[in-house]
Amino acid sequence: MNLEILAYPFLFVAMYFEVFLLITLLSAPARAARGRPLLAEETLPSVAVVVPCFNEAGTIGDTVESLLGLRYPKERLSLILVDDGSTDDTLRELRRFERHSQVTVLQKENGGKHTALNAGIAAAPYAEFIACLDADSLVAPDSLRYVVSCFRHPQVAAATGSLSIHEPRGLLGHLQYGEYFFSITLRHIISSINGLYVTPGPLSVYRRSVIQEVGGFRHGHQTEDMEMALRIQRAGYRIENALLARVFTKAPRTLRSLLRQRIRWTSGFLRNMTGEYRDLLWNPRFGVLGLLVLPLGLVSVAGGILLFCLAIWTLIRRMADFYVLSSGIPLDYALVPQSLDIFYAPASATLLLALIAVTVALGFIVLGKRLSRTKGPIRYGLAAYALCYGIIAPLWLMRAAADVATGTHRTWR
Amino acid sequence: MSLVAKNALLALLITVLIIGTVFYAIEYLDRRRAAEVSAIANRLLTDTLSLETQFSLLEDAPCETLGKGGLLSELSDLGERLSFTEERLGSDDTEVKELKKQYTLLEIRDYLLTKRLASACKLNPVTVLYFYANSEDCETCDRAGYALSYLRETYPTLRVYSFDYTLELGALATLVAVEKIEKDLPAFVIQGKTHYGFTNIDELKSRLPEELLETATSTPTEDIEL
Repeated sequence: MNLEILAYPFLFVAMYFEVFLLITLLSAPARAARGRPLLAEETLPSVAVVVPCFNEAGTIGDTVESLLGLRYPKERLSLILVDDGSTDDTLRELRRFERHSQVTVLQKENGGKHTALNAGIAAAPYAEFIACLDADSLVAPDSLRYVVSCFRHPQVAAATGSLSIHEPRGLLGHLQYGEYFFSITLRHIISSINGLYVTPGPLSVYRRSVIQEVGGFRHGHQTEDMEMALRIQRAGYRIENALLARVFTKAPRTLRSLLRQRIRWTSGFLRNMTGEYRDLLWNPRFGVLGLLVLPLGLVSVAGGILLFCLAIWTLIRRMADFYVLSSGIPLDYALVPQSLDIFYAPASATLLLALIAVTVALGFIVLGKRLSRTKGPIRYGLAAYALCYGIIAPLWLMRAAADVATGTHRTWR
Repeated sequence: MSLVAKNALLALLITVLIIGTVFYAIEYLDRRRAAEVSAIANRLLTDTLSLETQFSLLEDAPCETLGKGGLLSELSDLGERLSFTEERLGSDDTEVKELKKQYTLLEIRDYLLTKRLASACKLNPVTVLYFYANSEDCETCDRAGYALSYLRETYPTLRVYSFDYTLELGALATLVAVEKIEKDLPAFVIQGKTHYGFTNIDELKSRLPEELLETATSTPTEDIEL
């Protein structure tokens, strides 16, 4: 049996989703989102930015500095810095900022990120909107204005920003740099048809009344931002995205820390989808989210694993065949291609479809950079994404799937 | 119909079109390859006929004119292209079967012409007739074929003719009968002596005449002398 056939359904789905995204990008809702005007300064609502911190002494200073630099009326912006029982100098770092009238520092026993967020929300009963920001992220001066400008319609319960990697370094840094631009495009398009299922930690803003209605943050299998977004969607609200709300986060620098982060995200998604939020899948009541985005999320996990295993199996089989075939033949003959004639180009439907899919994905990366008006070169990000993402991503997909299947739970860090 | 439903249907239509185009393009490319192989075969047929005609015309002194003749390097190239095309389109493809028959006939004619030239010009070319079948019927044929390709590159005076034992072709059946080849593949006829089976390249080399092994080169020549 030709195992390549197994790849066709996944390539079809990948191609279909990319085409769907491209069409939706050109549709009226996405065009309208790109042209969304900023709210006038006098109409800006009151916002409390909650920053949960656990052992973030190395990064929290820059994060708070960036928040203090937001172009937002001071009297309508408060910063709630929550130390979730850190064991390093985080609290001392936070106290440095208490001299600012906007800043409130809370300290509590360690209970997890969701408890820190809830403590921050409880401390700001006056705020119309609650913004959440991870302690390793930096916001651009206008980012908050762009995000709150998404809340013109009362059905909009939450809005997210456009997240990029801050000062990418090395192969993994550039890989994530490219990947995050892909996500910017994806989030922009999907949000225009209300298909978002994550309100990421690095800058998401919630309507306070909706948080009160659906309840505060939960553990959510270590993906409290995803769990909250799913709960908001289930309650029938919209989640928007502000393309020009620029947020920068620090990328995991080692493969180990990257895998740990992604295993947490993927296993959180799988656990939410196979557990409490299973009813959203294939449910027409939730529109594109229930019928397309969430099912495709599951298919992409399965497809990523299967295509990777298929590629590894094909590689091993070819190497074994080559070893048997070339046994006794000098390597200088066996390893050198006998002809570079174009006649022998290994063109196949699988290869061509995969090339098209990767090219469109790279196009989305470039588009994400242009749409979010980010300056600087992208070539390393494109190269790292094209060459390495398909090799590294299956590692966390497989591990996360195995964790969910075996009921294994990991610590956050 | 909602915007999302419209987009979803349009995306489905476009995806089907893209995938259909990709499959069509690949099939078209494979057919173009087969057409190219067929064109080479036709050209070689003309060249073979020309050589045979020349041989007949120059019956008294063919050696000076045709001594460096023979189309084996072109035939080898054709064989490799045909093998690749067979891999792409499958052994059961009608076009591939026809091309294989054409190729086999060319090989037999070149082999016969080589024999005639050798006899007329008092030459002693080292010739290997190699009979194979697909991997289901012959486990070691792939390895034997690869080893022969290497030997052909290494020893430019070695003339290898490969025949698919299972091909239904009268001329091939006659050659099999004349050489008394049994279905115990792979089979090799080297300098008129038949050998069966393949274990490794050293064993195969040991069946070749010693004078051939002294002609090894690291840069294979284009024109193969008799």
